[in-house]
Amino acid sequence: MYLGIDVGGTHTDAVALDESGIAAQAKVRTNHQDLLASVNQALEGILAAVPAQSISQLNLSTTLSTNAIVQGTLEDVGMLVVPGPGISADDFMLCRDYHVLKGSIDHRGSEIERLDTAQAQGAIDACRKKGVRVFGCVGKFSTRNPLHENTLRQMLGPDGAGADSVTLGHELGGRLNFPRRLATAYFNCAVWRVFGAFADAVEKSLERLGLGHVRVNTLKADGGTFPLAQARKMPVQSIFSGPAASVMGIIALCDINHDSIILDIGGTTTDIAVFVDGQPLVEHDGIDIGSHPTLVRALKVHSIGIGGDSAISVLGEAVRVGPNRLGPSQADCVELGCACAADARPTLIDALNCVGAASHGNVEASRQAIGQFARCHSISPEVLAASAVEAASEAIFKATRELLDEINDKPVYTIHELLEGRRVVPKRVYLMGGPAQAMREAVRQRFELFTVVPEHFDVANAIGAALTRNTASLELFADTEKGVMFIPALRHRENVPRNYSLKEAERDALNHLLAHLSEMGVFADRDNAQVNNASSFNMVSDGVTTGRNIRVKCQIKPGVAFALTGPSQTTAGR
Amino acid sequence: MHEAKNSLGVIFFPAFDWSISPTHPEREERLLYTQDQLKEEGLFDIEGVDEHKPGVATKEDIERVHFCYPEVEAVATRSHLVAAGGTMTAADLVMSGRHKKAFALVRPPGHHAMKVVHGSRGFCNINIEAVMIEHLRENYGKKRIAVVDTDCHHGDGTQDIYWHDPDVLFISLHQDGRTLYPGTGFPQECGGPHALGRTINIPLPPGTGDEGYMMAMERVVMPILKDFKPEVVINSAGQDNHFTDPITNMNLTAQGYAHLTELLQADIAVLEGGYSIQGALPYVNLGICLSMAGLDYSGVREPGFDAVKHAQRPQIAEYLAKLCDALPELYFNPPSLEQSISGGKIEGEWFVRHKDIYYDTDGISEAQTEELLLCDSCRGLLKVVSRTTKNPACLGVEIPLHACPRCREKGLALYEEAQAKEGYRYCQLINRADRQYLRHGF
Repeated sequence: MYLGIDVGGTHTDAVALDESGIAAQAKVRTNHQDLLASVNQALEGILAAVPAQSISQLNLSTTLSTNAIVQGTLEDVGMLVVPGPGISADDFMLCRDYHVLKGSIDHRGSEIERLDTAQAQGAIDACRKKGVRVFGCVGKFSTRNPLHENTLRQMLGPDGAGADSVTLGHELGGRLNFPRRLATAYFNCAVWRVFGAFADAVEKSLERLGLGHVRVNTLKADGGTFPLAQARKMPVQSIFSGPAASVMGIIALCDINHDSIILDIGGTTTDIAVFVDGQPLVEHDGIDIGSHPTLVRALKVHSIGIGGDSAISVLGEAVRVGPNRLGPSQADCVELGCACAADARPTLIDALNCVGAASHGNVEASRQAIGQFARCHSISPEVLAASAVEAASEAIFKATRELLDEINDKPVYTIHELLEGRRVVPKRVYLMGGPAQAMREAVRQRFELFTVVPEHFDVANAIGAALTRNTASLELFADTEKGVMFIPALRHRENVPRNYSLKEAERDALNHLLAHLSEMGVFADRDNAQVNNASSFNMVSDGVTTGRNIRVKCQIKPGVAFALTGPSQTTAGR
Repeated sequence: MHEAKNSLGVIFFPAFDWSISPTHPEREERLLYTQDQLKEEGLFDIEGVDEHKPGVATKEDIERVHFCYPEVEAVATRSHLVAAGGTMTAADLVMSGRHKKAFALVRPPGHHAMKVVHGSRGFCNINIEAVMIEHLRENYGKKRIAVVDTDCHHGDGTQDIYWHDPDVLFISLHQDGRTLYPGTGFPQECGGPHALGRTINIPLPPGTGDEGYMMAMERVVMPILKDFKPEVVINSAGQDNHFTDPITNMNLTAQGYAHLTELLQADIAVLEGGYSIQGALPYVNLGICLSMAGLDYSGVREPGFDAVKHAQRPQIAEYLAKLCDALPELYFNPPSLEQSISGGKIEGEWFVRHKDIYYDTDGISEAQTEELLLCDSCRGLLKVVSRTTKNPACLGVEIPLHACPRCREKGLALYEEAQAKEGYRYCQLINRADRQYLRHGF
């Protein structure tokens, strides 16, 4: 049996399920001061219905790293930065102990200037003097040649002795983007200790609850999981996994084949995701943490401030919903039989109650609040409620269209892609989250598309967490003139012959990816491994071809262990 | 974090699936390292700097500019339409106010493509700047436009297209034509009879470095631009003047180019040549982007740079100082038609010039007779008769934008007559007055 726990902003959801369906589910309020308590509570809730022995795997989606960053409870990090010429690295100063060192590598991975080791030693000593125990070493073009980062790694000494943890820029993946690499390495270092402590505590809890035998994975933002042991090394990858859990939930609950839109309507926000040919779209570069763009891969999810608890406002003639959230709806906060306050502010849920799309909580309180608010603005309550629902679906529609435009405008680099490239044209809308059922009709009318609300739409996130498979990705770079092949994420570098070809590079990339997973004790189906991008350029010097410049990207594509698609989906036709 | 002072749109299109031939300088790999550099620097994460997809130029966008024989499809591949479309996107981004400035980092280049096109010259088939300029005029009503061509080769194509146009100021800074392809671009070439002084050529001696370029910019280009007051300034930003370029002999550096860009303050830049694809392009393009966006570019330095080795010789400064004294006169007090190299003479109402053109990339020889009706009310009707080793007699008739009724009538009559007489294998009409683009083949 698979267990999924999604520690969200408001609730912590847990489900236990197998191919026959959901065996147990639990929903508890998230305690942000003590996430472990929330996890334990959810686990205990599940174990009340399901025996511990039957559970084989736990997938955990947690806001731990996100919280640490938002609340600023980050550890001091020593950043050793080797930028070389270009945009000044001083502008990316992320922390106090940030040392810019001399040395440079160019775009082909040639060393242009040697690393100034005396300067580096000085920087390391200065960090140690201040008690810094975790280090990030990042060089420009280190994904082409990690020489300087490796030298710094050696200078820092072995783990535990010289430093508690060291993150090297090139281990974060082979993609180019030095500022993102810097930020990603920094955040990885900064949350390393707090994540490790949490992982220890979770393992202890599992032991105590008789779940010591369970395989534990952590969710990533890219719609995949990775083993807890791996997450301890790269905790930054566990950030913002919440929206991904929901998207994967939809995959488990619905059989999606077309270009589709996924709307996860929550209390405060609506998350919009796009599927192309039944596959979720991945963010082009990586997500932003605070104001810092990073290399953390994520599903492309766009959030807007519209949810069930979004306040209704009237501005002139226009009725608007959100982005402010002024607490729960009147339907939720007014006891049955009581009158709501004279200045009570109605929310989207209240409007949905009034138009008859929902009968959530105290419907009478909703009517009352909408009535009062409508009188204040001299419009009829019916018009106000209808306009509010319409405004919400309009705002969601507009944001979706903007997202689609952005996707369709993504730069491409070949004539073929530019002229033959397909546009994403959604055929269906999938709704989930609390107000999903209530908003279905309004959304259907605005989008004019086939609209689906799956069963279990309110715990889809936990289902997604439970069923999400392991994913991994890597980039391979080969330069046959130099005779080298390099996979930065795996720190694998080998010599290749001059006739090394694109085909061999693709094969090597996939083999290394699968081998890497099996080393981590993960079984990955070869069918799920795919090459996303492969290119080979002839390098010419003085009219003679001197070699090939080869780049391959491959991944285990995101997916679920099995689907829970039953005949009981509720749908609304055109 | 960074924020661009001038918001900048970069149309980056490396055409990774197109080349002239596998080992030709104009091949797939050309912008690969530039892409690597721009990505690694995180350029597009800077607030205000965005990457855009190019549009695709239509047949009409090309026919508005060129006489293509036998037809557009025969001389322009899809890659040329995308490069031209990229420059149009750049124009759209700036005109719509989406960005303050734009850089079309596209290939293949275009500044050797002339009014008449039979094939490829100097790796160019379609003049992408001209397509953009006529797009600006047609769709945004812009009139006065300045093109500053800093490619190391003389922009003879752009010069040819705007030879008779007093509203387009064309200034080219290039390696002296006595030492480099295409062998033209001398100061005496300064425009047709109605546009004298609107073509300014600044031939620089081999070995000119940052100082020399700055001298020419400060003493010749900037004063002329200030006087001309263009509505749009375009930079044909070829990068083969870099000290590492394999086919030229100049000493400009990435810093020098960024400085030049800062001084020029072009609204739109368009990549032209530049074939030192590893040692120059990544750094020069980064420098141009940062400079256009108003960001600090002082840290941009190419690996091969050596301040001593790449310094400009003192004799060059002396020579250039003299040149810079004389050149502004060409604009402020243009020479008479007789003194300039106009390449032609006045015969009755017509100005006639003969040209022999060689298409080096495609190996085509062309003999051309261009006739301009000297009109006082408009730019004048243009008639071009061209014969080549590839195509027999071809006729091109252009009724210019804002043509007077007489030129329009006469142009239509000429085109009609040519079809009746069957003296030409192909005829093409560019009728800007009625937005009519016709072709006829026998």
